Amino acid sequence: MKHSLILEVNGERHEIAVEASATLLHVLREDLDLIGPKKGCDSGGCGCCTILLDGRAVYSCMVFAMSAQGKKITTIEGLPKDGKLDPLQEAFIQSGAVQCGYCTSGMIMTAKEFLANSPAPGDPEIRRAISGNLCRCTGYHKTIDAIRTAAFSR
Amino acid sequence: MSISGVKEFCRPQSAGNAVELLAKHGNRAVLLAGGTFLHGLFSRGLGSGVEVLVDLQHAGLSYVNEAHGGLALGAMTTFRELAATEQVQKMPEFGALLDSLHCPPAQIRNQATVGGCVASAYTLFDVPVAFLALDASVKSLGPQGPREMPLEKFFVDYFEHSLKKGEILTDVLLPKPAARSASAFLKLETNSNDLALLNVAVRLSLDKSGLCQESRVVLGGGVGKTPVRALSCEALLNGQRPSRALFENAAQKVSADIHPVSDHRASGQYRRAVAKVYLRRTLLRAAERLGIEIA
Repeated sequence: MKHSLILEVNGERHEIAVEASATLLHVLREDLDLIGPKKGCDSGGCGCCTILLDGRAVYSCMVFAMSAQGKKITTIEGLPKDGKLDPLQEAFIQSGAVQCGYCTSGMIMTAKEFLANSPAPGDPEIRRAISGNLCRCTGYHKTIDAIRTAAFSR
Repeated sequence: MSISGVKEFCRPQSAGNAVELLAKHGNRAVLLAGGTFLHGLFSRGLGSGVEVLVDLQHAGLSYVNEAHGGLALGAMTTFRELAATEQVQKMPEFGALLDSLHCPPAQIRNQATVGGCVASAYTLFDVPVAFLALDASVKSLGPQGPREMPLEKFFVDYFEHSLKKGEILTDVLLPKPAARSASAFLKLETNSNDLALLNVAVRLSLDKSGLCQESRVVLGGGVGKTPVRALSCEALLNGQRPSRALFENAAQKVSADIHPVSDHRASGQYRRAVAKVYLRRTLLRAAERLGIEIA
C-alpha cells in the first residue's frame, strides 16, 4: 500500500505516494530523478548517499522517506545558486578530486555541513569529517585538498 | 536498506501515544528511533513479521534536562545533540560519554539516538558502555505507567533487554557525578565506521585523601553477550592511590572479568590481549582528566 507524502527537496515541494518501507535514497533517485545521491552499500557504511536533512549530513539510505516529511532535504543538485556551482563543487573540480566519481556527491554534501560549522579547519579535522565516506579509488588526498581550498577561499 | 515487509508507518505525537500503538499492533510493530541500526537488525533476521514502523521523532523525547543534579536524556536525543550540551562538553565526569559520542562519523552522529543505541541491546555499540561507567539507569513507559531500572539490569543477551512487551524506553538517566571524578572511553576499530572490536570505559573518583573510590571499569565489543563490568579491576583500584603501577595491575587483572568471543573480526585471544592495553590507556586518560600527577 502506498502512502501519500509531501517532501521539500532543494526548495521544491513534491507530493508523491511511497511505500512505507521506502528509503529516502530510493525515493530521491527513483521517484524524483535526483541521481546525485548514489546507492553504494545501501546500509550506512559508504557515505555515497549522503544528503542534508535540515542542514545535517545523513545517510539517505538509512532514512525512511516517510520520516523526512516536514524537513528541508538538500541533494547535490540543490547546491548551485543562480546557475553557479557551489564553491565546494568548484574546489573539487579545481583540485581534481574526482576519480570514478561515485563517492563525490556524498563527499561534497558531508563537507558542506562540516564547513558550515568549521571556519578554519586543519587537515586532521577534515580527515575526521569525511570518515563516514569511503572512496574506493582511495583518492582521499585530493578530496582533502579540495575541502581545504573551499574552506580558505571563502 | 531493504525492509520490504513494512506496510504501515505511524507518527505518534507523544510517548503515551507510542505505547498505545505498540499495544494495538503487538509483534507486528517495531519502534523507529534514528534508524541507523534498523538495517542491522533486519539483516540479522530480527525483523521478521514486522509490518508497522512506529517513528518516535515527534513523540517529544528529544531533550537533555538537569534532573536531581544529574542529567535526564530523552531517548530521541541524537549523538550530535548530546555531544553539544554544555555539561557533556565541559565536565570531566562525563568524559567517557563525550569520547564515545565522537566515535561514529558525522552522518551517524546526526541520526543515531541515545535511546536507539541502548534499546538495540547490541554488545558491540560504544555509547552504552560509557553510560554503564557513569552508573546510568533507564526510564521506560508502558501500559502500567513509567518505571526505572539500572542500565546494568537492562542488558540481558545479544539484542535482548529486560523491558516488558509494550514498554518503550523514554530516558537514559545519569546520576549526579561525585565531586572529584572523571571518566574516559577508548575504542578499538578497524575503520571509523566499524563496530568495536573492543571498547573500554572507566570512571575514576577520588576520596578526600586522594584514594580511588567507586571505580567503574566496563568493557564491551565482543567480551561477552552484554557489556561487562570488570568487578575485580574495580576492587583492585578502590582504596588505592592512582599510579602507573596500580593501572598496570588493574590491566593485568582484566582477563578474569571478561569472556571474549572469537569471530571473523578478531579472535578471543586477541581481544583478551588488547583489553589489557586499552584498559591501561583508558585509566591514564581518565587520570589526566582528573588533573592529577601519576607517578
